[in-house]
Order: sequence, then structure tokens, then C-alpha cells
Amino acid sequence: MSRRITRVLVVEDDTTLHETLAEVSVDEGHDVRAAAHGREALEHLDGWEPDVILLDLMMPTMDAFAFRARQQQLGIAAASQTIVISAAHNLEAAAERLEADGWIAKPFGLDQVVGMVDRLLERAS
Amino acid sequence: MPFDPASSKEDVSEEAPSPHGTDELLRLLVDAVEDYAIFVLAPDGHVLTWNPGAERAKGYTAGEIIGRHFSVFYTPEERDAGRPAWLLGQAAEHGRVEDEGWRVRKDGTRFWADVILTAIRDRSGTLLGVAKITRDLTERRQAQEQEQRLLAEQHAREAAEEALNERDRFLSIASHELKTPVAILQLAAEQLLRAADSGRLDETRLTTGTRRILRSTQRLTALVDELLDVSALSREQGPVTRTPTDVVALVEEVVARFADAAGPDRIRVEAPETATVGGDPSRLDQVITNLVDNALKYSPSDEPVEVRVVDEPDRVGIIVADRGIGLEEATEARLFEAFSRGANAGHVPGLGLGLFITHQIVERHGGRIEGGAGPDGVGATFRVWLPKDVA
Repeated sequence: MSRRITRVLVVEDDTTLHETLAEVSVDEGHDVRAAAHGREALEHLDGWEPDVILLDLMMPTMDAFAFRARQQQLGIAAASQTIVISAAHNLEAAAERLEADGWIAKPFGLDQVVGMVDRLLERAS
Repeated sequence: MPFDPASSKEDVSEEAPSPHGTDELLRLLVDAVEDYAIFVLAPDGHVLTWNPGAERAKGYTAGEIIGRHFSVFYTPEERDAGRPAWLLGQAAEHGRVEDEGWRVRKDGTRFWADVILTAIRDRSGTLLGVAKITRDLTERRQAQEQEQRLLAEQHAREAAEEALNERDRFLSIASHELKTPVAILQLAAEQLLRAADSGRLDETRLTTGTRRILRSTQRLTALVDELLDVSALSREQGPVTRTPTDVVALVEEVVARFADAAGPDRIRVEAPETATVGGDPSRLDQVITNLVDNALKYSPSDEPVEVRVVDEPDRVGIIVADRGIGLEEATEARLFEAFSRGANAGHVPGLGLGLFITHQIVERHGGRIEGGAGPDGVGATFRVWLPKDVA
């Protein structure tokens, strides 16, 4: 793919998991930022538009639903592809409500994340 | 004869001309009533009159029952207890008495009756007899019982639903808590393999990855332990085995265990030489561990956690105070319930079972636990009181 470096925002409250996800993305050659919850994610979106947002469902301070509502209200990162990541059993329905572009159930493999990010980027390009 | 139509004939003819006297009308009325047993007893309790309602309710014809004592309508137990005579006495003394209870029909079957006994006196006050009106309330009673049964069933259904909801809540929390470390295990392992395959596995990567794997396995072990503990506690019934246990020594052990992670001076202990209660040392260790662990988890790492042991004549207090995020009002009410978490708790790993377990242990020791804001409104303070007596 001949395009600029992919930008990824990881929004996940579990520190170890978001560090690991961020590292995986860096290994893939992406430009990565990480946030522990929705509010931190919104701060990152101020003047920076990621291609992909990896979004955990349940988070303190601001969960995925509140984050999406605010993001849509502000009209920021509208072109970003959003992938919801969670252990919730009703994940598919939640992803639909969030108008997400994809969802991945925990636990998941590296290939699953990388694969889905690539697929969504191809579709978007 | 109390129902002699001749006795008031003159009054009737004056007020309402009729082929029959009012007493005759009354007799016809009584005879027409089928839903009520209406009859008159002599002052000593022998049956004087009988109506179709009485025949229907009790099964005796007028010929069979007139002249017999009304105690045949009562169960043997009530007869033995002197109930018929007592009711007659009450009616004579107070003019009227109402009663509800089982009565016996001629064929021996029982029915639930509402009974009113009314004394009948002449103008001079002499007791002529006692009027007895009996209503068969068996159906109404059955309906009430049915209603109660339905209500009980509804409560049982609601309780079952609540249990199901609790189970769902538990499954959702447990699956979130368990799957996150599993996700980390999988990612970290794959990441290490990938790095090894591509020749990028340097020492930093190896150490970071391995540490993550270790931390996740520890987290999983802790979660499984917590689950097993709840299951063990719910199986162990009755009071704990009580052996003399020095709470001060336990506190010092627990604090020493946390000292490395918490930093040398963060936990401050104030305690007498000893304070002994009757209890299960390993369970009490768990109580102190949970409270200290919570205090450390829910307060900033530069704020002290204070542990005090108070030795009173018949009880020992363990007071753990932090200067952290404190308890919200809504949280305080549900503090010791399973799977409850303060809305302000953010994401602290765990199943939300710590205080539930702590509460169970304290109760099984015959003690008490309470949690609230710190003395100056800052942070949270938990107080555990354990009785000293070794039962």
C-alpha cells in the first residue's frame, strides 16, 4: 500500500493490554497513541485524526457509548474506522449501537487485530 | 318461646296491616335464608330452633338436632378446651361475641366458620337464649389461602429472577475480568514469537513480554482464588472454629507483607502489645489483608494508610483508614454485597468480592463491620469489631 503511515488510537482502560496493543501497532509500523478512557481519547482527537480507533467497551470515567456520542456530537474523527474490543457477551449488538466498523471479542490473537485493521483500511482507501 | 308470633301481634297491626305478624315474617325470612345457619340456643346451650341454612351448613335436620347441645358442632380439641361454654358465657356477659374457626358437620367433615352469638333477653333482662348465626367461610378461606400461595409463588419467582440477574451480572463481570488477562497472555506470547521469527527479539522485548505474561497469570490466579473463596465460604456453615488469636500480631504480619509494594512508611500501625480474640487466624488474616489492600488500591500512593487496633474489655477493633477516593453514598449502601463496585472505583482489577468475603468472615465470627467516610470527610474508614469471648 502506497500511502502515509497509518494512525491508530488505542482506547483501553487496562494498562497492560493497551501497552501491548500499542506495541503491536508500532511493530506494524503504525503511528500509535493510547488512552485509558473516552475522555483521554477525546483529548487525543483534538487536532489529530486517526485512521483506526481500537475502542474498549467498559471503561471508567467515560465508556465507549459516552465517547462515541461526544465524538459524533463534536463531529471529530468522522472518517476514522472504529473497532470495538470487549469481553461482553452482547458485543455485536453493542458494536451496532456504537455504529462501529468492526468488533473483536476478547481474548483475541494478534493476527485478528492486525488483520481487521488492514481490512478496514483497505476498504476505506 | 322467643319467636312466638303471638307476642307482638298488636304492635304490628297498628303499624303495618298484614295477613302475618312481623314475627311470622321474621320466621319466614329465617326459614328462607340458606347461606346462613340461623338458630337459637337455650341459655345452657341446647338447640331450640333450626333453619334450612343451618341444615345446609351442618348437615343435621331440625328433628335430629333440636334438643341436643350445640357443642356437637365443635372439634374435639375445642370441646376439650371448653370453647363452646366460654363462647356462651361471653355472649351472656357482653351481649355479643364473634368467633372464627373450624366447625364439624354431621358427617364429621370440617368447615371454616364465622360465628356470631347474640344474647336474647326479655324486658326484665332475663336471658332467654342465645341467637347463633354461622356462615361457612371455607371457600373464602380457600380463596385467601390460594391468594397467599400465589403471592408466595410470585415472591419465589421474583427471588429466582433476582438470582438469575445476579448470576448474569456475575458472568459479565467474571468474563470481563478473566478474558482481559487471557487476551494479554495471548497477545504477549504471539508478539514474542513474531519478534523471534523476524529476528527482532532483543532483551527488552523478551523481558517486557515475559513480565506481562507473568503478571497476567498472577492476575488470573488471584481471580480464581477469589472465586474459590466465595464458594468455600458459602459451603462452610455455622460459626468458625475459634482459637485464641492475637490481632496485633496478625496486623503486623499483613503490614509486613504489603511493605514492599506499598513503600516503607506508607502503612502506619497504632496498636497495643496484644489484643486477643477467639477466631480463625487465617480468615482474620484475610479480613485485615482485604481492608489494607483496598485502602492501598483506592488511595494515592503518596497518602498514608492507617491501621489501628483497639483493645476494649469485651471486643477488639481493627480500624483501617485511607485518604483516597472515599465512598459515594450509593456505594455505601451496597458496600458488602457481592459484585458491587463503587461507581468512582474506576477500573481496579478484581471481581468486587473482597468486601463481600470480608463481611461474611466477620459475621461468622459474631463481629460487626462498618465502612464510611474518614473523620474529616476525606477517604474511607473501615471498622471491624470482633468479640473476645472464645465460644
